[in-house]
Amino acid sequence: MQTRLPTKLAFLAAPKAWLFVFFVLPMLTLAAYSFWRVVDYQIVADLTLRNYERISGALYVKVFLSTVKLSVMVTLLSLLIGYPVAYYLARKVRRFKFTLLMLVILPLWTSYLVRTYAWMLILGTNGVINQVLMATGLVDAPLTWLLYSDFAVTIALVHIYMPFLILPLYAVLEKIDPSVLEAAWDLGGGRVQTFLKVILPLSLPGVATGCLFVFIPSMGAFVTPELLGGTRSMMIGSVIAQQFGVAYEYPFGSALALVLMSMILVVTTIVLRYGKPKGLAT
Amino acid sequence: MKRHDPVASVLSVWTGLVLLFLFFPLFVVAIFSFNESTISRFPLQGFTLKWYAKLFANDAIIDALWNSLLVATATVALSTTLGVMAAVGIHRYGGSFGSAMRAFALMPMMVPRLIIGIALLTFYDLFKVNLSLLTVIGGHVVMTLPYVIMIVSARLVGFDKATEEAAWDLGASTFTVFREITLPFLKPALIAASLMSFTLSFDEVVVTFFTTGNANTLPMVIWSMLRFGITPEMNAIATITIISSGLFAIVAEFSLRRARDLS
Repeated sequence: MQTRLPTKLAFLAAPKAWLFVFFVLPMLTLAAYSFWRVVDYQIVADLTLRNYERISGALYVKVFLSTVKLSVMVTLLSLLIGYPVAYYLARKVRRFKFTLLMLVILPLWTSYLVRTYAWMLILGTNGVINQVLMATGLVDAPLTWLLYSDFAVTIALVHIYMPFLILPLYAVLEKIDPSVLEAAWDLGGGRVQTFLKVILPLSLPGVATGCLFVFIPSMGAFVTPELLGGTRSMMIGSVIAQQFGVAYEYPFGSALALVLMSMILVVTTIVLRYGKPKGLAT
Repeated sequence: MKRHDPVASVLSVWTGLVLLFLFFPLFVVAIFSFNESTISRFPLQGFTLKWYAKLFANDAIIDALWNSLLVATATVALSTTLGVMAAVGIHRYGGSFGSAMRAFALMPMMVPRLIIGIALLTFYDLFKVNLSLLTVIGGHVVMTLPYVIMIVSARLVGFDKATEEAAWDLGASTFTVFREITLPFLKPALIAASLMSFTLSFDEVVVTFFTTGNANTLPMVIWSMLRFGITPEMNAIATITIISSGLFAIVAEFSLRRARDLS
């Protein structure tokens, strides 16, 4: 017997209402603000494309490009480093599987602010790496490019978001039917061939979801570039955040955010075409 | 059959190195939090707990801690309630409407926190809402809801609808069925989801940064302290955060695992 439609609807009404008020309406407001302007510290609601014209200037295009470059780098590194881990956990590990999975999940629960901070301790002029290099005599003076650079931001973002890539990938790899692999072996496929022609294509949905889980937050990163990027490394997240500070440039900041969001949407659409994503449980 | 598998050996070493990469920075923070010296560097100067003592004597930090606990508790209450309703609703509907609803509910996950934060800020600005801890909670619920829905939905996959239907046939009301049958079944997922949303809310900086008024939460205090440089107290707060979220993660995973093994 099916329940009556109204009682079913009641379950969805409250969460839908919350998302509408605190997510959909704010996103629409953001979009509206991007076409408005500020006059004498007052938002004036008249339609203008000025904010978007300003973004097309060389400075902002450059920051957007370097943000994309850095996020792609972080995503590719996470994939290259994380794929073998997901593969090992899903198909090769014999003992301590639960413990190892737990160890991958644990960092996910740790504050991204704390994890960013940890890299300040490691990469700083007096940081752990410089001390080791100095003590072993490999360098005479501390390396100053370790912290406050693209390098620092990249390594910290990989550290923070890679577990988000490993888990969906693990889920997909674990579900691959062993009989498919046996068939590949029986047909004379070697290890490399089986991997490239069977396992890799079958794992693409996990790769797609995992890459998005790294790429999206990297594109919008704000805390990590702010603390580790310094003046040498600029990401669009910091530029957007500045517009919402004392500058009171809400409309311009909203336009920047909208451009960022459209870039994310385009990439998401393209990436998802290569595989239907499966949800990630925990 | 036991054969030496060179690929497995290489992969196990690789996995070990990656885990080292993931945990080493956290260990460094924890080690320095017990270090006597005011400067976080080797060689260590001797064991001390004074940074922890200093932390608990700092009023700004204690105030912020209470604010964080308040926001996180409210977030857990709201987002688990709404998340369970959404997951159960989606599960009962099924079909294309169910998956459309699911996609809608998971959308905030695909939006960077920065954009969730500033979108809320423009929204509050437009309607002249005074920023406070309440306005923070609105955003934290949006941010944690998708995680609750995913954890609860994963558990619901193993749910036998026949139990519910039997109860209906015996004349139980929709509410009774939910309270007596669905809710107990979901308990492990509820524990995991609550712990997860608590941790996410407790640690959140970006959404809070844009939606809070004068009241500060703990991550906000850490954030503003970090911009002025590294202090040993920072290592102590960070270590407490790492250990507590680690414990939460372990409890949540065990709760889900035991439930899976039983069913």
